[in-house]
Amino acid sequence: MTHAGSAPQRRPLWSKLRFWHLCVGAIVLFALCFFGLPLLWLFLAASHTDSSLFTAAPFSWGTWRNVAQSWSNLTQYEGTHLWTWAFNSLIYSVFGVGLSLIAALPAGYILATENFPGRRIILLATLVAMITPNAAIVLPIFLEMHLIGLNNTRVSLILATGFFPFGVYLAFIYFATALPKEILNSARVDGANAWQVFYRVALPLAKPAIALIAFFSFVANWSNYFLAFVLLTDDKLHNLPVGLTSLISGARALSFSAATGIPIRRPEAILAAILIVLPVLVIFLFSQRFIREGQLAGGDKG
Amino acid sequence: MREPLREIDKLADQRRARAARLMNRRKTKTAYLFLLPYLALLVMFGVFPVCYAIGLSFFDTISGAFAGLSNYHLALDDFRLGQSLLNVGTYVFMWVSLMVVGVVVLASIIDVMPRWLGTTVRTVYFLPGAVTSAAIVVLWLFILDPQVSPFSFVFSLVGWENRFQVIDSIGLAGVFTLMAFFAYAGGWIVVMHGALTALPGEVMEAARIDGCRPVGLAWRIKIPMIWRTVALMAVLSLANGLQLFVEPQLLGLAGPQLARNDWSLNQLAYQYAFALGDFGVSAALSTMILMLSVSIALWIVLATKFYRID
Repeated sequence: MTHAGSAPQRRPLWSKLRFWHLCVGAIVLFALCFFGLPLLWLFLAASHTDSSLFTAAPFSWGTWRNVAQSWSNLTQYEGTHLWTWAFNSLIYSVFGVGLSLIAALPAGYILATENFPGRRIILLATLVAMITPNAAIVLPIFLEMHLIGLNNTRVSLILATGFFPFGVYLAFIYFATALPKEILNSARVDGANAWQVFYRVALPLAKPAIALIAFFSFVANWSNYFLAFVLLTDDKLHNLPVGLTSLISGARALSFSAATGIPIRRPEAILAAILIVLPVLVIFLFSQRFIREGQLAGGDKG
Repeated sequence: MREPLREIDKLADQRRARAARLMNRRKTKTAYLFLLPYLALLVMFGVFPVCYAIGLSFFDTISGAFAGLSNYHLALDDFRLGQSLLNVGTYVFMWVSLMVVGVVVLASIIDVMPRWLGTTVRTVYFLPGAVTSAAIVVLWLFILDPQVSPFSFVFSLVGWENRFQVIDSIGLAGVFTLMAFFAYAGGWIVVMHGALTALPGEVMEAARIDGCRPVGLAWRIKIPMIWRTVALMAVLSLANGLQLFVEPQLLGLAGPQLARNDWSLNQLAYQYAFALGDFGVSAALSTMILMLSVSIALWIVLATKFYRID
């Protein structure tokens, strides 16, 4: 039950209960079910077979052997390239995050510390690009990649996800607010050139900003679907979300007209979903504060 | 005696000005060196694709001839466009309303909880944010299937027996609204709760002493004080909702009966490029959708003070 933060009184707890306490309790309980139960169910359901999913109680645990069986179906069926997709996901994420950091940190730093012609328009373009949803630009990017013949290559996706205006804005805000000007000036007086001031002085002080940018960039890249789906048609190049959904779709694992003879059924689909979700979930467990810092700094598109 | 000195002063001023100009030019050059990687990406994945799509939208890409506005005519005359506008409009309206009410209510409740309980509850709300794009559709196709759903008791209460019935009854816009709320509400609840805890304690104390009850306090004092954050959330959700693609595109996972390839605006643009190979009409549609989003973004940046650009 929830309480208002009122001053403690020496009356029994139940006498403080009001009608609105019950309403609030009901809302919280409802919301906890809505947000919590599906995730709980997902992890429990992976332990069932295709038939025991229907017969067992909704939140029961099956057996580890079922998990192992689904896993081997998922990895060994000839139509899957699970390891390739996982490898691709890793490559796309690592290089995407790396590139976005390499581009965003110096850009945000210089926008925050120097005044030069064109600075305002670059900031404006960055903000507009940041607020415009990614999905809006996916087809134009595809058309461009088609023009220069880069579609269906790993490079195209990595370069496209390396463009991360939100990261530039985060770096800009960080360097503008959290980096004392005196430190930079004293480094300049000591004879450091612009690059040395950035690399030796500003960058080591920017670890929180680096973590923040890497977090948002990783979450965006790991679960990237639309762009990867449109740019990469070769199934050896797919990342986990695109590869696994095309597999589930091809095997008709979630549809009623079953019986394709392919060992990719509901438990495998559940395991696949867990595989896509798990890395982000683990990071999320430790990163609520990132979300708040990031969105207070200027909003994320999520 | 004064004259020569003045001449020297003038000369020195000129020299100083030239030195400053040189210095400034060097500074500008250094600044652009720092910006180089980012600007290259900005041009390649921001400016150029937009310009290219706009340019392409004026050409018949199959014959390669200049086509004027005919791609736009073709796109606007497509009978599916009105329907997908209506679909996306319904979805956006439902989603934004649910976000505003749901996030504000849930964040306000967390704000009056004991600290340890609030943190736990907030984490439960927040975690589904990890379930994105493809995984969210897979998960929700299970949730909406009464035979396996964790909420099967709800479905049996209202008498829905299979997934088609459930999706039919809730409506596709409703289904996507639930999916999006499930995934995105938590992050905004964290933000909104952050905004609430940042409110000045004296104001709350004064209201409490004046006899304001927690519900009144939330409704009359706290929510009016965080309305800017609420408005930002609503506008960003609106801009995002217009771009719906993945969720309707992946519904076909549940079988051909549910597959929709022209439910949302982005799907329609995708269809033109990939099913018909008509990049011109696809570019025209993309351009219109993009202009809508860019206008919203420009308005947020220029007309509101949510983001600093100085």
